[in-house]
Amino acid sequence: MPAYTRIVSTLRSVFGKKDLDHDLEAELRSYLDLVADEKIRAGVSRHDAYRLARIELGGVEQVKEEVRDRRLGAQGDVLLQDLRYAGRSLRKNAGFTVVAVTILAIGIGATTALFSNVHSVLVRGVGYPEANRMVILRKSYDGRISGPLSRLDYYDFRDASETLEDIASFATYGSAAVLSGGPTPERVRVGFATWNLFSLLGARPIVGRGFLLSDEQVGGSNPVLISEGLWKRRFGSSPDAAGATLRIDGTASTIVGVLPGSFRFMDKAEVWRLIDRDGPFDPLRDQHSVLGLGRISSSASFEQARAEMEGIAARLAETYPDTNAGKSVNLTPLQDYMVRDVRLGLLLLMATTALVLLLACGNVAGLFLARGERRMSEMAMRSALGASRKRLVRQLLTESVLLTSVAGILGVGIAYLLNGLLLRLIPIGEMGMDRPTINATALWFAVLISIGTGLLVGLVPALRTAGKRPAEQIWSGSRSSATGRSANLRSGLVVLQVAVSIALLVASGLMIRSLANLSAAELGFDTDHLLTGNIQIQRSEYGTPEETVQFFIDVKNGIASQPGVVSAALISKLPIISPWTDWGIWPAEVPSPSARDMDYAMARYVSSGYFETMGIPLLAGRDILPSDRMGTDDVVVISESTARTLFGDGDALNRLVGIGWTERTFRVVGIVGDAKLNLVRDDADRAMYMAMAQGGASFMYLAVRLTGDPESMSGQIEDIIRNRDANALFADAVSMESVLSRDLAGFRTVITSLALFAGLAMTLTAIGLYGVLAYHVGTRRREFGIRRAVGATDGAVLGMVFGRGLSLVGIGLIVGLAVAYPGTLLVRQLLFETTAIDPISYMGAVGFLVLVAAGACLVPALRATRSEIMQVLRTE
Amino acid sequence: MARGNLSGRADLVRGTLDMLILKTLSLQPLHGLGVSRRIDQISGGVFAVKPGSLFPALHRLEQEGWLRGTWGESENNRRAKFYELTPDGRHRLGEERANWAQAVGAITKVLEAT
Repeated sequence: MPAYTRIVSTLRSVFGKKDLDHDLEAELRSYLDLVADEKIRAGVSRHDAYRLARIELGGVEQVKEEVRDRRLGAQGDVLLQDLRYAGRSLRKNAGFTVVAVTILAIGIGATTALFSNVHSVLVRGVGYPEANRMVILRKSYDGRISGPLSRLDYYDFRDASETLEDIASFATYGSAAVLSGGPTPERVRVGFATWNLFSLLGARPIVGRGFLLSDEQVGGSNPVLISEGLWKRRFGSSPDAAGATLRIDGTASTIVGVLPGSFRFMDKAEVWRLIDRDGPFDPLRDQHSVLGLGRISSSASFEQARAEMEGIAARLAETYPDTNAGKSVNLTPLQDYMVRDVRLGLLLLMATTALVLLLACGNVAGLFLARGERRMSEMAMRSALGASRKRLVRQLLTESVLLTSVAGILGVGIAYLLNGLLLRLIPIGEMGMDRPTINATALWFAVLISIGTGLLVGLVPALRTAGKRPAEQIWSGSRSSATGRSANLRSGLVVLQVAVSIALLVASGLMIRSLANLSAAELGFDTDHLLTGNIQIQRSEYGTPEETVQFFIDVKNGIASQPGVVSAALISKLPIISPWTDWGIWPAEVPSPSARDMDYAMARYVSSGYFETMGIPLLAGRDILPSDRMGTDDVVVISESTARTLFGDGDALNRLVGIGWTERTFRVVGIVGDAKLNLVRDDADRAMYMAMAQGGASFMYLAVRLTGDPESMSGQIEDIIRNRDANALFADAVSMESVLSRDLAGFRTVITSLALFAGLAMTLTAIGLYGVLAYHVGTRRREFGIRRAVGATDGAVLGMVFGRGLSLVGIGLIVGLAVAYPGTLLVRQLLFETTAIDPISYMGAVGFLVLVAAGACLVPALRATRSEIMQVLRTE
Repeated sequence: MARGNLSGRADLVRGTLDMLILKTLSLQPLHGLGVSRRIDQISGGVFAVKPGSLFPALHRLEQEGWLRGTWGESENNRRAKFYELTPDGRHRLGEERANWAQAVGAITKVLEAT
């Protein structure tokens, strides 16, 4: 078959070249003999016959070349040839090769690692089946997302919606509960979900069954699903776990199934409780604790779903004006919701690595240009021997692509290393995603990038090097003035590099300032020497609420009396560590406003001495006192901003307020300073502090101000707690400073990477600048020598070189700063208390760059001052 | 009559050369020089195929599988590489002839249009 024959022939052309050439040689010799024979028969002398035959043939080598060119597989043969030549050429210039490969390997490696992460997290996204049709539902007012849905609203959405084929809901505010009834009590994270959450996410229980619709009854049997980890720990992986009873916070629940270890959703919950028609929370329509997760049916679009849901919300607003007036629903694609925190950081890093790669390309291109200059005569020779320009260019490109391919292979190795570092940035665990690895897609990307880089880096130098006509080439030698165009190109490259570097430096500067501001942010409370932890008791082991309160008070007093303890206190949720949970608050003399008009403040229960322990100033009135107990008047201490919101400039002390669902009236007995309870980045939150003793407690956070190292006392504290109640659990003992520093860890990683890349960019730019100036000085040695001979001072010569170098830098700065400003607007979200035109960052970046650039100018400048005219003239 | 020169630059001319070679070898197997001489003779001297075009064409046709080359002995007991048409080559010749006829017919029509 012709096709088969062609393939064989092609391969033979490439790999069996020698034999083919032998054969051809023999054939052409035979041709010569036959033609000569003809002529001899016609009477020509033997000698003349062969001479005429050779003329008629036209030159054996030429014919051979023609045959070779037109053979199948000629391309492959040429490619192999080029590769061999390229390899030899690169090996000969080992220094250049090593430098170029290293620079490019780092650039390609970094870009590949970032690409793999970006692709995994942002493109491929969450790993649930049909995740691209899933949406998160939250409530909104006036188009602004406000927070979770209400359970009762959720049921209405679920029943009425047609575009969403299924909607589940779940709560993930990090509930924790104590499991008892086994060898040891254990605190675990608990999630709440409607029966269909797991089927929606494609999770199949490995033991038992999932939740069923029929579980969702009023007064049901408290079914729960447990994680594989919990199953192994508490039940030894026994199949009897299905159907077993688990006591959660004292309530008996039945385990219906075990979820596989590979299932993760938004939280590290190990126990999932069923949200059924009964609760376990949000009995009222205007309590909002659950998020919705819906899947859009294949026959509907996102727009249609959104429109339908908003319509349903509007109908609910009409049916239930008290609780739903103005309340609408927002649909956010699941993917967007899950990556919202990391998206910007990742994209920023990706853009940065791409820029660094471009910079690296610029440097290597410059190196190629310089090398090209030196090879001009070689190219001229080859051109004179008959190589077409296209052939020369192709051969040079093969060299650069070979170089970048080697760099690419090394780069993949570097990508593996970097990948590990980046993974610390991204909380993959909660997103149900697999860890981004350097997989096939990333490898293809690396290949593409390598080849693309090779072409990019090699094209202009190749065109320039192979361009000149041979005669011109051999004449120009070393006599002429600098080959202007190439030098200008390199200077242009340096200008661009400076521009990119300054942009990266400015971005780094802004981020570093933000980090500094974040670290020093005024939180409203004192963070030194503060130990935090939490205490949990088994509610069922205590009788009255007063007894539980007594436990906590005893523990607090016991801790406070220890040497080295300045003060101790308890609170239901510590700032930053346990955020959110806001309740409505309103002046008692007015009726409680609707959900939409209600003012909210973070609701906390505290023991006495909390504000003193935390260093929150008491601005008016008094603290919670031991005398505020059950049975006495309900009191509350509010924060400054809460007082201002409710009462304006008027005096808030002794006013009465209604709070949340308590159906009780509280008297404001004190006003304290504002503190940040939720996020360090946000403003201080409104807060209200009620008496722990008046609320009852089974779980409280502990805050202890110490004179010495906070974490050194955790053992003693645990003993005190256990002595009072052997079944109480003390956990998460950590200093406040550690908590805050951990909070910033992700941001710090982004900044460190950014700063590192900026530093890398700077180094590359400096190298490029040095190269350009060294060349500039090198080609002007005669000029400098003459200048010095006629009396120019060292200073003047230095000035000339520096002037040239710094003028390049100057142009680059202008271009760069012009580009940097709009660029920084993109990352404004990440900045904290730093404006996009923060002068210190800009000045610092410019100053640093000028300093480094000046350093790069130094050596060439010094060398210029040493040009001796006699030496120069001699070597010409 | 003008002496044409199939120097193989244009694709059209190159394709024509292939066809002529295939046709020549369909009559009997020949070595390279023989093919050149035969085409020269049959065309009445119009087409003098130079080795620089002949050998590349022969080798490519061989690679494509339309010719088979075998070493043998010429009339004067010289070693030479003889080419003969393969069945696929015969088929290819038929195709080429049909294409050529079509092209010629079309060109003729255009030239005779009024």
